[in-house]
Amino acid sequence: MLRFLAGLIFLAFSFAAPAMAQPLPGERQVEGSLHAARAAVAPGETFTIVLRQNIREHWHTYWINPGDSGEPTELTWAAPQGWEIGPIQWPTPQAIPFAMLVNFGYEGEVLFPIEVTAPANAPVGSTVTLPVNAYWLVCSDICIPEEMDLTLDVAIAAQGRDDPQWAPRIAEAVAALPSNAQRVDARITSGAPARLSVALPNARELRNLRFFAFDRDVMRAGEAQSARVGAGGASFNLTPGVANNLGAVPLAGVVAYEAQDGGAWVLRGVEIEATPGEVIAGTDEIAAQISDDYKLSELEGGGAAPAVTVEPLSAVALIAALGLAFLGGLILNIMPCVLPVLSVKALSFAGGAQNGEARKHGALYFAGVMVTFLALAGVLIALRGAGEAVGWGFQLQAPWVTSALALLFFVIGLNLLSVFEFGGSLQNAGSGLATRGGDAGAFFTGALAVIAATPCTAPFMAGAIGAALTQSAGVTLLIFAALGLGFALPLTLLHFLPGLQKLVPKPGPWMERAKNVLAFPMFGAAVWLVWVLAEQTGSAGVMALLSVAAALAFALFVARWGRVWLAIGAVALVVTGALMWRPLVGAQTQSVLVSEAWSPERVAELQGEGRGVFVNFTAAWCVTCKVNEATSLATPRVAQALAEANVAYLVGDWTNRDETIAGELAAHGRAGVPLYLFYPADGGAPQVLPQMLSQDLILQTIQGETE
Amino acid sequence: MNEMSRRALLIGGGALVAFGAAGGVNMLLSEEAQAAIANGAQAPDFSVQDANGATRTLTEFRGRTVVLEWTNNGCPYVRKHYDSRNMQTLQQEATSDGVVWLQIISSAPGEQGYLDAAGARARVQTDGASPTATLLDPTGVVGRAYGALTTPHMYIINPAGVLVYQGAIDDRPSARPSSLEGATNYVRAALADLDAGRAVRTAQTTPYGCNVKYAT
Repeated sequence: MLRFLAGLIFLAFSFAAPAMAQPLPGERQVEGSLHAARAAVAPGETFTIVLRQNIREHWHTYWINPGDSGEPTELTWAAPQGWEIGPIQWPTPQAIPFAMLVNFGYEGEVLFPIEVTAPANAPVGSTVTLPVNAYWLVCSDICIPEEMDLTLDVAIAAQGRDDPQWAPRIAEAVAALPSNAQRVDARITSGAPARLSVALPNARELRNLRFFAFDRDVMRAGEAQSARVGAGGASFNLTPGVANNLGAVPLAGVVAYEAQDGGAWVLRGVEIEATPGEVIAGTDEIAAQISDDYKLSELEGGGAAPAVTVEPLSAVALIAALGLAFLGGLILNIMPCVLPVLSVKALSFAGGAQNGEARKHGALYFAGVMVTFLALAGVLIALRGAGEAVGWGFQLQAPWVTSALALLFFVIGLNLLSVFEFGGSLQNAGSGLATRGGDAGAFFTGALAVIAATPCTAPFMAGAIGAALTQSAGVTLLIFAALGLGFALPLTLLHFLPGLQKLVPKPGPWMERAKNVLAFPMFGAAVWLVWVLAEQTGSAGVMALLSVAAALAFALFVARWGRVWLAIGAVALVVTGALMWRPLVGAQTQSVLVSEAWSPERVAELQGEGRGVFVNFTAAWCVTCKVNEATSLATPRVAQALAEANVAYLVGDWTNRDETIAGELAAHGRAGVPLYLFYPADGGAPQVLPQMLSQDLILQTIQGETE
Repeated sequence: MNEMSRRALLIGGGALVAFGAAGGVNMLLSEEAQAAIANGAQAPDFSVQDANGATRTLTEFRGRTVVLEWTNNGCPYVRKHYDSRNMQTLQQEATSDGVVWLQIISSAPGEQGYLDAAGARARVQTDGASPTATLLDPTGVVGRAYGALTTPHMYIINPAGVLVYQGAIDDRPSARPSSLEGATNYVRAALADLDAGRAVRTAQTTPYGCNVKYAT
C-alpha cells in the first residue's frame, strides 16, 4: 500500500516537473555523466571517478550547504558487493545571488570527484558496472528537480592504466578541490556579526574572498562579509544564523578566493575549522580586493571601491585635507544644527563675564569640542575596524540616539522657557545665566555642540572626512582634530578677546526674553529629530517618544513642589519608559522601497538605454540634503529640465544603514551624505556635484548635457 | 549647586549618554538585520486582499493562533507537500482545531507562482486545500515585512499577536517526495506545543524551498 502510494506520488510529481520547466519544456537543464580516471583498474586499487554536470547557462546546482535555498546533489549507489564508493568531494563553491537571497553552488561544467576502491578479489579480465541514481536540484529563477540513472563500466586488469582523456581532467579537478592538507589556523569571535580570522600568508594577493560554512544553520548566507586582509591573513564578518552559536563552538567550512595563476584568476579554496578565540593579528588591515565581475560586489559594497581607499595621502593632499577640514569646522558653526546650542553659550557674555573666568570657560569649551570630536573619530575607527560601514552622522542611524537627542533638546527648550528650574530662585535665573556659566557647563556645551553638529555636513567638510576615514587611524585623528579646531575656534576666541565681548549688548530684561525665544529653535530641533525617528521606526516610535517626553515634562514640572511630587514624577517617568522603550531602540526598523530607488544595476541599466541619470544620496537626518532638496532639487524647473533631457532621477536613501550606499559614497571619497552624481547620457563616469546645490547649477549640469 | 551648573550637567550628561550609545546601538542594529522579525516580537500587521476580494488584516484574527504559509504553486518544494497531501492534512488538522491558516502568494505578476484572485481560488480547489484564506501579495509588501525567503516558509503567531515560530515546514530540505517519510513537521510540533500551553520548543529553523519570486 505504501509503495503504491509512493509510486502515485512519484507519478504525480513527474507530471508536475515538466510543467514547471516553462522555458524549455521537456529538456534537461543538466546533462550528467560518470567518468573514471583509469581505463582499467587492478584488484584492490583505489582510483578517482567523477560525476560530471554540464549545467545550462544561467542555471546552477548546489554545494553541500546550498545557502538560502536549494539542495545539494545526491548520489545513491547500487554498487556490487565489495566495492567501496566514497562521498562526493565538493569543489569550491561560488556565491550566486538572486533577489534577497544568496545561494552556494556551481555553474557551467562541474566535476565532482569520488574515490572508489575495487575489491581485492575482483576477477581480472572482467568488467564491472557501477550503477547510480543521481538526483539534483537545478535552478535559475525557478527550480527543477532532475533525476538520472547513470552507469560506469570499470574494466579489471592485472595492471591498472590511466584513461588518456579523463585522467588529466580528473587530476585537475582533484587539484582544484579546497585544500585541507595543512592545518590552517583560524579563529571565530562571538557577536553579531562575529569575526572569522584565517591565517593565510598570501591573503593580500587574493581577491573575492568569502567564507562558506558547511552547516546551513550557523550563519546567514546573504549578508555582507566585508572581507579584510593583512600580512597575517584574512578576516570576515559572519552574521549568526538560526543555530546562533558562532564563537561558542568550532566553525568548519571553506574559505573561497580567486588567486593569480599564470596571468588568470582561478577559483580556489581552503578548508578550515575555526576555534573560538580572538581575531588573529594582522588579518584586518585593508579591505580585500573585489573584482568588477564578482557577483556579490554589490552586497560587499560596490565593485573595486574598497581597494581604492588603501592609497595613503601624499603630504600635499594631507595638508589640503587638513585645511578643508578646518574650513569645514568653521562653517559648521553657522549650520542650523549647531547655532541654537551655541547661542545659549554666547548669551553668557551678555553680562560681561570676568576675563579670568571667561578664559577658563573658553578653554573648557575648546576641550569639550576637541575631546568629543576625537572620541567620535575613535568610535568611527573602531567600528570600521570591526568591518562596519559607517560615516559622519552614523549615530543618528540608531533610533535610540535619535530619541535621546530629541528628548534632550526638548528638555533644554523647557528649561529655556523657565518651565522648570533647578534649585536656584526665579529672580536669579537671568543673572545666573549671564554670570555663572559653570565649568562643567562650558565643557559639555562643547560636547553637545559636536553631537548636534553631526547631522549637518558643511561645505569642504565632507571631502576631508571622506579622506580621513579611508586612511590610517593616525591620519583620521589628525583630520578630525583639524575639524574640531575649526569648529571650536570662533566661540573660544570670543572667550579670550574682551574686545569682541564688548560687542555683545549689556544685560537687562531682554536676556530673559532672548532665553525664552531660544527655546523654540530647540523645540524645532526636537521636532525634526522626531521626524527622523518616524522615518526609522514608524508611528510606533513617535508614539513612544512623545509619551516619554510628556512624562519627562511632567516629572520636571512637578519636581519643584517638593520631594513627594518629585517621587511621583520619577515613578511616572520610569513606568512610561518601561512600557515604551522598545521602538526607541529600534526593535522594528524597516526601509520602504521606492520605485525609483537607487541601485548600481538601475544606473547601469538606464545608462545602457542611453539616458542620463541624476543620483541623490540623502538621509532623513541630513539637514543639508533636505535644504538642497527643498530649494534646488524639488522645483518645477528642475523637474521639467529632467523630463526634457530624459534624465532619470534616482534616490539613494541613507537614513538607515546601507552597505551598498556606504560603499558608493566611499567610492567617491565621501563618508556621508549629501552626494549628488550626474551620469551623462553618453555613458562614462559620473560628474560629482558640489554639496551646496543651486537650481541654476543643476539646470546647467543637465542642459549642458543636452546641447 | 547653582542653577547654571546643574543645567550644564544635565546637558552634558545627556550628550554623553547619547554619544556613548552611538557605538553600542550600531552593534544592536546589525544584530537586528538577522531576521526581519525576531520570535517574541509583535508580528507586523498587514492589510491585503484575499482570493475572494475581501480585505484581510492580521488584527482581525487577534485571539486566535495564526499560521502563515508562503506558497508558490509551481515550486517543486511546494508541490512535494501538496501532491502528497501533506500540506492539506496539516491545514485540516489546524483549522479544525480553531487555528487560522493563511496562504500567502508573494510572487510578482509574470513570475512563477503568481495567481490572480480567480487563479488562486481555482488552485485551492485543484489542490483540495483548506486554508482560512489565500492572501494575494503581488507587491511583496507582506513577504518583505516578514522576511519570507522561500516557499514554503512558515510562521506561527500566537493569540496575543506574537511571533512564536518561523522557518521550515519540516526537517527535510528536499524536493523529493520520498523525503516526507519519517520527517519531523515543525509546524505540527509547534501547534501541539501551543495547544499544550508550553513554549514552542523548536521556534526557529532555516527555511528551505524555492526563492520567493518578489517584484524587483
